[in-house]
Amino acid sequence: MKTTNQINTLLFTLLCLTASALFLSNQVHAAKWDATMTPAEVEATLDKKFAEGKYSPKGADSCLMCHKKSEKVMDLFKGVHGAIDSSKSPMAGLQCEACHGPLGTHNRGGKEPMITFGPDSTLAPDKQNSVCMSCHNDDKRMTWESSHHANADVACASCHSVHAAHDPVLSKQTEMDVCTSCHTKQKADMNKRTSHPMKWNQMTCSDCHNAHGSLSDADLVQPTVNETCYSCHAEKRGPKLWEHAPVTENCVNCHNPHGSVNDAMLKTRAPQLCQQCHSGDGHTSSAYLGNTDMGSTVNGNAFTGGRSCLNCHSQVHGSNHPSGKLLQR
Amino acid sequence: MKTKLNIITLALLSSCSFGLFAQGYGLSNAKTDNVKFDAWQCKGCAVETGTTGYVDAGIAYNSEDDIKSANAFNSSNQVAGKVDADIRYKGKEGYQANVEAHNLGMDNGRLDIDVGKQSVYNINVNYRSFAHYQSNSALSPYQNIGSDYLTLPDNWVTAGSSPDMPMLYRSLNPVELSLTRDRAGLGFEYQTESLFTTYVNFQREEKTGTKTTSGSFYNQSMMLAEPVDYTTDILNAGIKLRGDNWFTSVNYTGSVFKNDNNQLGFDSAFNPTFGAQTTGYIALDPDNEAHTVSLLGQYNMAMTNLSGRLLIGQMTQDQTLTTIGYGYPLPANSIDAKVDITGATLKAVTRLNRAWRVNGSYDYNDRDNKTQIEQWTQISINDVTGEAAYNTPYDLTTHRAKLSSDYRITHGIKLDGGYDFKREERSYQDRETTDEDTLWVKVNVNSFDMWNMWLKGSVSQRDGSQYQATETASSEQNALLRRYYLADRDRSQLEARFSHTPLTDLTVDFGARYALDDYSETDIGLTKSTDTYYDINLHYMVNADLSLNAFYNHQIIESEQSGSSSFSVANWQADIEDTIDYVGAGMSYSNLMDSRLKLGLDYAYSDSDSTTQVRQGVTGDYGDYFAKVHNINLYGQYQATDNMSIRVDYKMEKYLDNDDANDLNPDTIWNVVSFGNVDHDYTAHMIMLSMRYSL
Repeated sequence: MKTTNQINTLLFTLLCLTASALFLSNQVHAAKWDATMTPAEVEATLDKKFAEGKYSPKGADSCLMCHKKSEKVMDLFKGVHGAIDSSKSPMAGLQCEACHGPLGTHNRGGKEPMITFGPDSTLAPDKQNSVCMSCHNDDKRMTWESSHHANADVACASCHSVHAAHDPVLSKQTEMDVCTSCHTKQKADMNKRTSHPMKWNQMTCSDCHNAHGSLSDADLVQPTVNETCYSCHAEKRGPKLWEHAPVTENCVNCHNPHGSVNDAMLKTRAPQLCQQCHSGDGHTSSAYLGNTDMGSTVNGNAFTGGRSCLNCHSQVHGSNHPSGKLLQR
Repeated sequence: MKTKLNIITLALLSSCSFGLFAQGYGLSNAKTDNVKFDAWQCKGCAVETGTTGYVDAGIAYNSEDDIKSANAFNSSNQVAGKVDADIRYKGKEGYQANVEAHNLGMDNGRLDIDVGKQSVYNINVNYRSFAHYQSNSALSPYQNIGSDYLTLPDNWVTAGSSPDMPMLYRSLNPVELSLTRDRAGLGFEYQTESLFTTYVNFQREEKTGTKTTSGSFYNQSMMLAEPVDYTTDILNAGIKLRGDNWFTSVNYTGSVFKNDNNQLGFDSAFNPTFGAQTTGYIALDPDNEAHTVSLLGQYNMAMTNLSGRLLIGQMTQDQTLTTIGYGYPLPANSIDAKVDITGATLKAVTRLNRAWRVNGSYDYNDRDNKTQIEQWTQISINDVTGEAAYNTPYDLTTHRAKLSSDYRITHGIKLDGGYDFKREERSYQDRETTDEDTLWVKVNVNSFDMWNMWLKGSVSQRDGSQYQATETASSEQNALLRRYYLADRDRSQLEARFSHTPLTDLTVDFGARYALDDYSETDIGLTKSTDTYYDINLHYMVNADLSLNAFYNHQIIESEQSGSSSFSVANWQADIEDTIDYVGAGMSYSNLMDSRLKLGLDYAYSDSDSTTQVRQGVTGDYGDYFAKVHNINLYGQYQATDNMSIRVDYKMEKYLDNDDANDLNPDTIWNVVSFGNVDHDYTAHMIMLSMRYSL
């Protein structure tokens, strides 16, 4: 009860903050030109500049005349996008302008738009991403255009940082923070009673999902849900002599891999989960009441206590025993 | 830097204009006719060769005896050491080497070593360890835990019920239920200047430990520690080819699983019942293999992008069957199981104009189980003594088709909508075909200075061929039962998210989701389920050094189901309510003490709770079933010298869980010998001191 009150108080505080924030106004501008140009004007200017192709006279050296004081700009050279010995690096081609577009007259006061990246850029994400995708066209990103993130207007630079020695999202230690900053429900899921060990970064989202899209449902890295599960749980793969139909068909029929308030990430605990599919002329159809005023207790019989149905039918993932039809052997 | 004539330059100079990126800023469309690359010297490009990075060594002290705390603290030892490292060597002409280690030496650690030449080749050696700790307080009278035969003490006296077993309490010993994985891998990748990349990766994983299972004779059951001693080898190899507007690859994945234990034998703790058996054997997960070859392809046209995959695979299992204690002739020594997998997927995206995009996809996946159907005699462990049974190798074919479109009404408003179709065809099940149709629509609004928001709604309907509850596999089931994964279902979902930025440095996000599953034609089984969720998140950058965050998430999942104890119409109902509250706050403060000190503090509390009520005249409940977890993570990092920093981490986990159904002594249930109460209630502290040396 006390905890509930604490939660309510916090919630109320957050709501008050939100409400008070409604009355505050402070317009956000991402770049110098955004103060005087609408996003449509910026995009039209960039389109025109790109078509004209007025690149700088000296490439990166032209840009660095003004921007070399910026630590973030110079951090490019700590990462692969700043590599000068790689034939596939932007620095081997149009250098800074490979990504930021032709200089045009931007060097005259910096008021003419350049291509900028990230969530604060007013340039449409698909326009930003067209730059990245023109090189990063491979098996991991080949379905980007039809991916969940592309459809949600996520810019590559919303997750990735190229002006850095390390891109944080590529580190297993920080990946979860990046993903759960938007996928808040999954953050709650992985803090439920049972979940895969994502809470401690031992597993990460990218172990199962491809954030750049895939040819599978839910952008899974494997063709199906079960094949995704088998990649770490090969012992469940079988094929076994006695298969349990919903298990063979789809692991998520019974489990929620993001987490559950039930043990073993089960959607519902036994015996109720089992009784959602088994109602025979025998013990599977009985009402197991648990604790009642009539003297029965939930931990007093093998149907509800201990492992419930699994006390006897322990081989729920299938059995390879000649006598395993009832998944007891 | 002397400019090279390389593939990027070639792409730039190419007159070809390809791609979905025709309206974007793709390099192949760049107009570079007037660029004088000879003058692009890149004198200011500050790429340094040599070695950079850090090595970090730490030592941790964990106060807690309950082994579950090791999941959060990465070690089951009271004192543990670790090494973190990020060392990068850059040589001339693109030669490089990286060593990355995290928590190496602890139970969950990793190491990656990469050596190669940029954009040419790379050799990777990697190692990972994982551990999952469930309990070290389970109690069992069995000996030889970890082996494939669990024996009771020599002086064990069987009885008809567990409270009557005279040696039970004198024979109990604690059992650790935990699993560890050790993975080692080796990979190689080679790229040419132009089209071609090839790769091969090998990984071996050893998984060891014990997990819970049960052995039973008729209606008597003993909880057992199942030995886990698995080896899984995975090999991936492939060839990739790419051009300006296309990509293709051929890939092979092979996985070979071996279990060192074929079966688990166990003494019966009870007096013999059916068949007078005193020992039992359960088959453990059999050795198996899976091999898949896939062909991927992508082609970009001016306004359209096509991608697809063809795959064929086979899963096989030929483990010699366990016959110890079986006593009947087998139709085969092994089942020689074979499942053929076939898949085909095609996706297309086309832009009709700058504002309007259309997506379409079709996916086919077929699981064809070619295992022979044989007659198998069931042995005398229950009342199916001597019955003949036939195995039912399940087939499954799935078709998925999707069509969607998004239209940008204005710069800040986008409308999405789509139709999804899914058909599943099965063998040996109550319903051969299910069809699911889904319609969805989503509106994104980003046209306000301080607000971004979206709203999504969907409705779906699943039905299919006639439900034959009395046929084949379900001959013994109630005719009114509709299994939830096959049943008719109407699903509706509504979700909204708002992101508000009232100040440049303050962001407030909140969202809510509601989903309703109505199993409209089900009398017995799962009849209804609702899922209500909301969250609110706040992030505030007070200044360049101080940031604060707070969040609260709440979810409630309610399910209703019905059953029939009279094998006719429904005469009992169950209501299940699962709730999660997850709340927390954190701060990060940098550049204290003349930019030498950084402090961080995170607190989170999660409360998972489930209640179950069953009604049949009287109402019963399943008691407490919760897990309440507080986590604190406090750290301070002090830069002592230019190269040396010291960090102190303090972690606290206060953990309490309960499950009334498992609030047991080993003999609480007369026909079960259980592990006893394995609930957890601890407050664990960990302090880690680490020193980082920067190269």
